[in-house]
Amino acid sequence: MEKQSHLLLWKAVFVLIIIGLGFGIYAGSKSIDYTWRWERIPQYIINTEATTVRSPFDGTATIEKGNKLVVTSDYGDDPLVIKKFDNLLVNNGDLVFEGDPLVEVESWNIGPLTWGLVMTLQLSVVSLVFAVVIGLFAGLARISTNPALRYLSVTYIELIRGTPLLVQIFIFYFFIGTVLDLDRFTAGVAALSVFTGAYIAEIVRSGIQSISPGQMEAARSLGMNYVQAMVNVILPQAFKRTLPPMAGQFINLIKDSSLVSVISITDLTKAGREVVSSTFAPFEVWFAVALMYLVLTGGLSWAIQRLEKRLSASD
Amino acid sequence: MTNRTDKSIIQARNIEKIYPNGCHALKNVSLDINRGEVVVIIGPSGSGKSTFLRTLNQLETISDGTIHIDEVSLTDRKTNINKVREEVGMVFQSFNLFPHKTALGNVALSPIKVKKKPRAVAEQEGRELLKKVGLAERMNNYPSHLSGGQQQRVAIARALAMHPKIMLFDEPTSALDPEMVGEVLDVMKSLASDGMTMVVVTHEMGFAREVADRVVFMEDGELVFEESPERFFSSDNPRLQRFLGQVL
Repeated sequence: MEKQSHLLLWKAVFVLIIIGLGFGIYAGSKSIDYTWRWERIPQYIINTEATTVRSPFDGTATIEKGNKLVVTSDYGDDPLVIKKFDNLLVNNGDLVFEGDPLVEVESWNIGPLTWGLVMTLQLSVVSLVFAVVIGLFAGLARISTNPALRYLSVTYIELIRGTPLLVQIFIFYFFIGTVLDLDRFTAGVAALSVFTGAYIAEIVRSGIQSISPGQMEAARSLGMNYVQAMVNVILPQAFKRTLPPMAGQFINLIKDSSLVSVISITDLTKAGREVVSSTFAPFEVWFAVALMYLVLTGGLSWAIQRLEKRLSASD
Repeated sequence: MTNRTDKSIIQARNIEKIYPNGCHALKNVSLDINRGEVVVIIGPSGSGKSTFLRTLNQLETISDGTIHIDEVSLTDRKTNINKVREEVGMVFQSFNLFPHKTALGNVALSPIKVKKKPRAVAEQEGRELLKKVGLAERMNNYPSHLSGGQQQRVAIARALAMHPKIMLFDEPTSALDPEMVGEVLDVMKSLASDGMTMVVVTHEMGFAREVADRVVFMEDGELVFEESPERFFSSDNPRLQRFLGQVL
C-alpha cells in the first residue's frame, strides 16, 4: 500500500512538470508580444477553396431547367455542359468569350502541408525499402569470409557513417545526380537509402552475430545450405532481436528526410517554410509541422511495437 | 583403398586436425564403423572426441587424411557436402533447437526446405516422430516451454526427420539435469535397437556398457584404444585405467 501511494505521488510529479512546461511555453509566448493565429493553419492542411471553370471558346450561355449550364460554341465545337456548380457567374443568354469565368465549383482541396506530408511519406517509404535491402546485403557482406565483400562493406559503412547526411545529399544531387542525370526525388531517395543502409548494415551484422553459432551448425547438419540456413533459421531470429534498434533507425529516416528540402523537394519541412513565408505565422506552422512528423513517427513506433508483441509468442 | 570392407559405412583414415593457432586436435585418427553398429567414444575433455565426431559431417574440416561416408569421400572437392549431411543426423550437447519454431516446426523444417516435401506430408511424419520420442502432447510448444530432456528428444526427432543412415551424438546428456538423462538415453537405446548406425560421444559409462558394440578411448587427440564393452571395461591399459579411475 505504502509503495503504491509513492508511485502515485511520482506520477503526480510527472503531470505537474508537464503542466509547468506547458505554462512556461504559454508565458513565454505572452512575454514576446506575439499574436497567435491558429485559425490560419487548417486551410494549409485541407480547405474548400473554390475553383473557377472558364469557357474554352466563344459562345452563348444558356441555363436550362434543372440548373444546367450549357455553352454553345460560335464555331460549331461540341457544346460545354456543366451540371454541378456552387456559384453561377453568368446570366441566361450572355455572350461569353474564351477564358471568361462561368461557374465556381467548391471542392475539398488538400493543402500544401498535407502535400508535404505525403511527399515525406513517399520519400520515407521508398527509401526505407531500399535501405533495408542495402543494409541486409551490406550486413551479410560485413560478416562474409570473402575479403573482397568484407572490405567493400566496411569501406561503405565507414564512408557513410563518417560524413554528414547533408553533405551526402549535396554530393548525390550535384555530383552523382549530374553524372547519372537523376531527378531530385531519385537523388533524395538514393542519398537517404544509402545513408540509412549503412546503419541498418551494422544492426543486421550485430543481430546475426548475436545468434549462437550452434543454430547455424544445427541447420547445416540437417542438410541446409548456407542460404537456406540464413533465410530459415538465422535471419528470422535476428529479425526479432533487431526490431527495437530497427524501429529507431526507421524513425530517424523519417526525420532525416527533412534534410532533402535543401535540394528543393517539397517535403513537409519545405512546405512548412513556404507556408511560413505566406502566413507570417512561423510559431504556429512549425508546431503544426512538428505535430505532423510526430503522427508519422508515432504511428510507425506503434506498428513496430505491435509486431514485436506478435513475435514474442515463442519467448 | 584396398582394405575397405563392404560393411563399413564410415571410414576415417589418418585424420589430422591442426587449428590455425597451432593446436593439434587430432593425431592420425583412423576408425571404421559398420552399418548398424553403435560406437561410443569416451575420453577426457579436450581429447578431441567431439572434434573427431564433428569431422564426420564436416562441421569441422580436416587438415589431412580421408573420410568416406557410405563410399562418398568427404575430402573430394566435387562432393556436395549438403547431400552427405542429409544422411548424417547430428544431436548437440546444447540441443540447438530453433527457438522461433514449435517442436513440430523444428522437426518439419528441413524436410520441407531441403527435401521439398509438401508441408502436410512433412508435418504428418513429424507428428509420428514426436510420438515415437514420447512428445505427442507437446508438439505445438516452443522450445522455451520445454524441459531440457524434452528439447533434446525434439532434437533427436528433428535429426531423424531427414531419414539419416547415421546418427552422431555429441554429449547429448551433458547439459541435462540428472533426472532427465534417462528419458534421452531411452530414446537412444530404442534407436540402437532399431538398427541405426550411431556414433556417440558421452560420459555415460552405463550407456556404453549396455548399448555399445564398440567403445573407443581418445586422449590428447589420439585414438588410444578400441574394444568391445566387456573387454574395454576390464582392460588394464594404463591410460584408460587412469581415466576410468577419475570418472567412475
